[in-house]
Amino acid sequence: MAERERTGGGPGRLLVAVYAVFALAAGARAAVQIATKFDEARLAYLLSAVAAVVYVLATVALAVGGRVTRRIAVAACSVELAGVLVVGSLSLADPAAFPDATVWSGYGRGYGFVPLVLPIAGLYWLWRTARSDRGRVVRPDGDG
Amino acid sequence: MSNVLSAVVIVAALLAAAFSAVTALRDRPMGWGDLAGLGVLEVLLVAQAVVGFVKLAGDGGPHSPATFIGYLVAAPILPLAGAGWGLMERTRWGPGVIVVAGLAVAVMVVRMRQIWDGTGG
Repeated sequence: MAERERTGGGPGRLLVAVYAVFALAAGARAAVQIATKFDEARLAYLLSAVAAVVYVLATVALAVGGRVTRRIAVAACSVELAGVLVVGSLSLADPAAFPDATVWSGYGRGYGFVPLVLPIAGLYWLWRTARSDRGRVVRPDGDG
Repeated sequence: MSNVLSAVVIVAALLAAAFSAVTALRDRPMGWGDLAGLGVLEVLLVAQAVVGFVKLAGDGGPHSPATFIGYLVAAPILPLAGAGWGLMERTRWGPGVIVVAGLAVAVMVVRMRQIWDGTGG
């Protein structure tokens, strides 16, 4: 099959699979936390929910891999990277603000640092596929 | 939770992952061997879910069972998703996804044990 490289095919499937596992894990965790003990740590649980939404968004966007969804995927991965860095730093600097763990606490320590690696892998993969896509999709906004 | 059963599930998940890793490294699409591994794993996970629910209904189990039930129900979905992906993606990345599914199942069973025993969040 000589079709142009899509974000959801080939090695991308691996990425989408890992993202799907994290979407499931973060989503289920947030749902349980908010349903059973929301008052104990509102900030942490809301963050869990936000993380879950971002993971779901990234999973779907990477799997579909069209022109618009590619941008959504870039945005989702960027938000994730920012989230894991900011929340990771905050959770170490001010543990009292995070009485219960989120996926992003301690730079994703509780999840084998996968939450830190995943958005970087995602952005790299998007960049790779965008390059091999160049004939068709002109990207007016580089990183300037 | 049965210690023996969860140990068997973990071993089966790791074996299925290892088998598919070999398939992926040999640059083959998913074959019958990979599917058989997933099939065995699926049967074990369904058995674990049945045993888990029976035990939950009986002697109580973990303090707050919501998370535990989540794992119990979510785990059997992974081998099915892996098989589906293996059918769609007829390259080495099909079994690659199965590796991810197998490892994820192993981690989930470890977490289930921790929740059941009350160690760790």
